[in-house]
Amino acid sequence: MNQNKMKKLLPLAVLGIAVATMPLYITNSYALKIICNVMLYSIITLSINLIVGFCGQLDFGRAAFAGLGAYFSAIMFTKVGVPFIAAFIGGGVFAALCGAMLGMLCRYTSFDYLTLITIGFGEIVRRIFLNWQSVTNGSFGMSTQRPSFFGVTLKSHQSMFYFSLVLLVISYIVIRRITRSKMGRAFQAIRDDPIAAAYTGIHVPNYKVICFTVGSFFTGIAGAAMAHYTMFTAPTNYTTDESLIMLQMAILGGLGSLPGSIIGTIILVVGPEISRSFYQYRLLFMGVLMVALMLFAPNGLFGRHGIKDQLVAYYRRIRGKTAKGGGNNG
Amino acid sequence: MFLQHLVNALSVGSVYALLAIGYNMVYGILEQLNFAHGDVYAVGCFVVYSLIFSGVNPFLAIGCGMLTGFLLNVLVERFAYRPLRGAGRIAPTISAVGIAYIMRNVIQLVWGAETYPFDLGILKVSSFKVGGVMIGTLQIYILVIALTLMLLISLALKYTKWGQAIICISQSIPTASLMGIPVNRVIAIIYGLGAVLGVIGGVLFCSYYQFIFIGIGFSYGTMKAWMASIWGGIGSLKGAVMGAMVLGLTEVLISAYVSSIYRDLFVWAIFIIFILIRPKGLFPAQVAEKI
Repeated sequence: MNQNKMKKLLPLAVLGIAVATMPLYITNSYALKIICNVMLYSIITLSINLIVGFCGQLDFGRAAFAGLGAYFSAIMFTKVGVPFIAAFIGGGVFAALCGAMLGMLCRYTSFDYLTLITIGFGEIVRRIFLNWQSVTNGSFGMSTQRPSFFGVTLKSHQSMFYFSLVLLVISYIVIRRITRSKMGRAFQAIRDDPIAAAYTGIHVPNYKVICFTVGSFFTGIAGAAMAHYTMFTAPTNYTTDESLIMLQMAILGGLGSLPGSIIGTIILVVGPEISRSFYQYRLLFMGVLMVALMLFAPNGLFGRHGIKDQLVAYYRRIRGKTAKGGGNNG
Repeated sequence: MFLQHLVNALSVGSVYALLAIGYNMVYGILEQLNFAHGDVYAVGCFVVYSLIFSGVNPFLAIGCGMLTGFLLNVLVERFAYRPLRGAGRIAPTISAVGIAYIMRNVIQLVWGAETYPFDLGILKVSSFKVGGVMIGTLQIYILVIALTLMLLISLALKYTKWGQAIICISQSIPTASLMGIPVNRVIAIIYGLGAVLGVIGGVLFCSYYQFIFIGIGFSYGTMKAWMASIWGGIGSLKGAVMGAMVLGLTEVLISAYVSSIYRDLFVWAIFIIFILIRPKGLFPAQVAEKI
């Protein structure tokens, strides 16, 4: 038993050390920038997974919440002069409040209407960013500064790397705990069958509101971190297309699988960076990927019965070995 | 001045109505979000643009555009939607989004992302004055075409065998196939017809605004048609037309009397509040509900 646990923990520890020492062997600042982007996008993807993968609410307006967090934090930190940590957490809380409001609106609505309301909400938020020029500086976007804690400003890419890493690890652990708590089980029950969930005593509307609130908090935090990292935020970053790309990251990784979300984010953030001429065919690639995934592997890479599970089953069949114990999922 | 706004609202509304009729047919019958509707017919509209630009007879060009839209949507239905018909609601929606991306990228690669001037050259555009209100002839044509199409389609649904088959499928697909209706063929034809109506709507939309660009697919096509369909009532053609009129009226009145910068914001806000209060729309379809 103990040895089994060791066996499981060892690769994790090796991976952890490899990631934590990344700035030591990756010194290229461009590469570090992409890695930071991957980590911050991963937080958004995890929150999408919580809402779409675990609670089954198809949300097409996630980018708006990243924008709410980013703008709130940037305005508070740069224009009002609030300490960074307060502005940063405030960005998340503000996004969470907006998420709670959206959740209240679509508490009783089902599939199509919810999707439409989230698109509408995203559009409304983007219009406010665009047109409330005295506060958001309109379509020119607004600049902000790097994070600073108690007089120490995170200027280098290395320090931003650790900042994003800590943020990602905390978010991952919290979301993982949520999905395995009573609340997470309730979300999954709602996803599988809302009527049956209601009959087992789950207050479906309340749990939907909670799900949107918690998810929006993480989206907002990640959006705020991105804005402080790039020191710039503009309304063009928060369109419906951007939301769909974020959603695609979660779907590629596999809805309902948290490590899958990170893998999906890595593929879709790093992929377009490899070749710049690829940019022209980006939408085509995304579209083909979406359709092909839905046709052949609707559960993505790491979801239940996803590509990974199929490969593992195939490998076992070839080896003629019977499956022993549960695979690691989660 | 108010009368002038009313006339403008009617003409904007009738343009939206044409787009909404095609959308509502597919949406109402299969209850499946069709994110790709706009981008598929946009390809047809660009084909029409290219043909007219190279000097082909406008009617022939529109015919070719309609054929393109029909074939494209039948193909898309066959390979992207049909395999997912029984697979919950998330999978077909994402698949449709993927198709929309593919179509948009195709337009971008073939025609580019610029805005082109668009002129059919068959509808004489002029305007006349009635009691201080300017009315364009094109606006009247569009309204008449929208109403005629609505009437023709409702009659066809009611009095032809194919129409009855479509209504049967909208109520229950298993029952329809037990009655000997070729479900797959009928659904493919519904998708194709939806795209044909979309091309007609798109071409008139472009000739009303006198330009064509990549955004006619999603932001002006799918979103407006979807809003109009839900506003009017899913699955009812009368609802689609009325919803489109209400959408046009709201847009014009808000930009005239409230704020033209925040027009979309207010339209979305009113729309969201409306569907929360009355999710079935203004004129829900008169079909027995599936329970």
